[in-house]
Amino acid sequence: MSQKAIDLSIEFCGVKFNNPFLLSSSPVSNSAEMVEKAYEAGWSGVMFKTLNSDRIPIIHPSPRMNSFHYGNKRLVGLQNVEQISDRPLKDNLLDFLYLKKKYPDRVLISSIMGFSNDEWEYLAKVSEDNGADMLELNFSCPHMAVEGTGHHVGKAFDLIEKFTATAKKAVSIPIIAKMTPNITDMTEPAIYAKRGGADAISAINTVSGISEIGLDDLVPKPNIFGIGAVSGTSGPAIKPIGLHFIADMAKCQELNLPLSGIGGIETWIDALEYILLGSSTIQVTTGIIHHGYRIVEDMIEGLTDFMREKGIDKVEDLVGKALNNLVTTDHFNLERQGIAQYDEDRCVGCGQCVIVCDDAGGQALEWDSNKRIPKLNENKCLSCMICSFVCPVNDLITFKEMESGWQRQETAVMEPTIASELKFSPYHTKE
Amino acid sequence: MSLADKFNKMKRGFDFGQALEEADRCLLCLDPPCSKGCPADTDPGTFIRKLRFKNITGAIRTIKENNILGGACGILCPVDRLCEKECSAQFKSKSTPDGSAQAIQIGKIQRFLVEHAWERDFKVFSQPDSINQKVAVVGSGPGGLSCAAELAKVGIQVTVFEAKPEPGGVLRYGVNSFRFENEFLEKELGEIKSLGVQFKCNTKIENRAAAENLLKEGYSAVFLAPGLWQSAQLNAKQSAIKGLFGSVDYLSALRDGRLEAMGQQVKGKSVAVIGGGAVAMDCITSALKLGAEDVYLIYRRSFVQMPAEREERLESLEEGAHFLLLNQPVDYLTDGNNQLIGVKLLHTKLGKPDESGRRRPVNIEGSEWELDIDIVVEAIGNQAEQESKEWYPNVETSENNLIKINPETGETSVPGIFAGGDIVRGPALVVNAVQDGKIAARSIQKYLAK
Repeated sequence: MSQKAIDLSIEFCGVKFNNPFLLSSSPVSNSAEMVEKAYEAGWSGVMFKTLNSDRIPIIHPSPRMNSFHYGNKRLVGLQNVEQISDRPLKDNLLDFLYLKKKYPDRVLISSIMGFSNDEWEYLAKVSEDNGADMLELNFSCPHMAVEGTGHHVGKAFDLIEKFTATAKKAVSIPIIAKMTPNITDMTEPAIYAKRGGADAISAINTVSGISEIGLDDLVPKPNIFGIGAVSGTSGPAIKPIGLHFIADMAKCQELNLPLSGIGGIETWIDALEYILLGSSTIQVTTGIIHHGYRIVEDMIEGLTDFMREKGIDKVEDLVGKALNNLVTTDHFNLERQGIAQYDEDRCVGCGQCVIVCDDAGGQALEWDSNKRIPKLNENKCLSCMICSFVCPVNDLITFKEMESGWQRQETAVMEPTIASELKFSPYHTKE
Repeated sequence: MSLADKFNKMKRGFDFGQALEEADRCLLCLDPPCSKGCPADTDPGTFIRKLRFKNITGAIRTIKENNILGGACGILCPVDRLCEKECSAQFKSKSTPDGSAQAIQIGKIQRFLVEHAWERDFKVFSQPDSINQKVAVVGSGPGGLSCAAELAKVGIQVTVFEAKPEPGGVLRYGVNSFRFENEFLEKELGEIKSLGVQFKCNTKIENRAAAENLLKEGYSAVFLAPGLWQSAQLNAKQSAIKGLFGSVDYLSALRDGRLEAMGQQVKGKSVAVIGGGAVAMDCITSALKLGAEDVYLIYRRSFVQMPAEREERLESLEEGAHFLLLNQPVDYLTDGNNQLIGVKLLHTKLGKPDESGRRRPVNIEGSEWELDIDIVVEAIGNQAEQESKEWYPNVETSENNLIKINPETGETSVPGIFAGGDIVRGPALVVNAVQDGKIAARSIQKYLAK
């Protein structure tokens, strides 16, 4: 049986992408030499490393990055003090020409950051003139120290509107505004960008963070010759933050713009989650810093097979598909309750479930130290499910709904006999 | 590479990253089976947890407070029969009874932590204020060292008497230096010395009642841990045969200055080692390193019944040893000069299990065959020196000269005299002797308090 061909292409701001997977503007998109390799690996487009107008020379701090490990797991987060491109503008533009000539079917997006209205206009124009298919306005780089640049703009909403409008006037190609996550509500600056004429929003840039402090010299890392700084955290650890901002913007009817999702994407599943919450394209840097451009092969194959299995023809049909299931917590049906259930035959006897249930759950587990096996008192199980998170055996502990009318046992008080000493009367509203 | 270079260094252990990675694999069990599996209560469950939560100094402290020879045990323990045996990380369950993953490499983590302490010069103990009580320890092997350290920690003045030129007992003279090197031993001994323990080497307590007399010479108590320094022999008449060694003499020769001489004797020759335990493995691997042309292991049962650790067995095969399993040596063949030229063997088959639970080898009559051999090392067990009973005539012993004790306390039949290690148990593990030393030290403190 021949398999149905799956087309991963998607239109974003009227531009066709062969697949939704792009490089974000970062060290991984620093030159045509690098981007060419990315294209060959299968990435459909690139947000080229943010252009500088040469007005102020860019010199990178050294060292530039620090890793955030968790146990055996390398790089669950990455800390960087990267600046915008330190190459001469002319060199970057020459690379634009090369890439567009050799890869006309790939999308070249020019990321720009100006220090003034003039400069935004200049960079927008020169990008379009040299083949950029779109612009991404970098309102979010967390390391630019000058007021009126980078994330300082992203937090001053009127500047977002003003600079977007300037760029919009200068060019005819679509414009994406890139948001900083270092605010509480992203829909607000996104709407300012829309008013300025943005055609799409990309999010998130890196999350302001501190990954590690050297214990011998007391210097936050990366240690730039004796000092450190709050800087951008990226990688798998920030995926939940990125997904939340994308979903907020996707649900915002006033905004109603196409979205490009960024933040901790490494696999097709991460990418799909961003798509299901409203992204039409997704962008990757830290995943590439960790594993190289090759990861796109697995993103393409994984998403293709998923769509084939689910009978979905177009990526577009997946965009925002999970949004209807995303509600606020007050919508939950609290009548339906369940518990954890155990497949005891697969238990390896480590007892971690008992430790966490005792210290963080409902004290619902008893330990049979001879058989080295936990025994669940169903009536005390809170269904927090933390036992299943620490269990080393996959799916040994699963959630099971209890029949309607089942009641969880209340948490007992330690010493009912001292109730006479209680100073207490039930709370009544004063109205 | 000179012989000394080949013999002097052990394989490197885990580095910091590998140890952390291995600790990260640990399931941090409730009620950890590894801790239950350690005869000396070294408590791997706790020190691995400490390492996992980056409490590295605390992890070192746990090891050293529980087991002053934690480094030696980390290297020499047959961990697959002890702490690692029931490790949950093997993922044994009713549905996967054999386990689908490796046990945490506890011995290697333990060794790393001990070495790491030396590297960063972290000291668990400081020398306590001395109290006016003196205890004598006879033998500086694992049992003696453990007892001495335990007593010294509370300020008791301990003198360890050692017959050989250097302290360490089997840790120095009973194991290959490439399996447990001098440099490592010296560092671990250094910690014990820094507690104030005094060593008197080249001082054998060998005259009649000499051990008992220590009580009259200002020592309030005595701990006997002289070990077993006589090789068991296949038959008693054979001793004059040239080319025939007991494992005790053979292994100590490699460490007491006779290495080169041994090399000349073994190089290019055909060597057979009789036995299937850890000592036999040590004899095989060293014979290979000495340049023997062929090294045979002769063992009367089969591969799985061998007491040596699986890893050691496989390693010696990999290194080129020939295992002659199911073979019982029955006689040695010599030339006119009483020089060994061969060994006469009988094939065996396995019968019903014996008291050890292993299937008993049964000789197959008429299956006799001969193997040309230049050198034989008998590694069939160590026993107490013939005259050892003389040193402590009032201390009750068994017929094979092992000392009888109350296993709960280490007390012998003579008040004030305690004993432990191989002289009590027969051939046993370093870690067992460590525990004996600890138990006796506790009893000695109680005894001194009376």
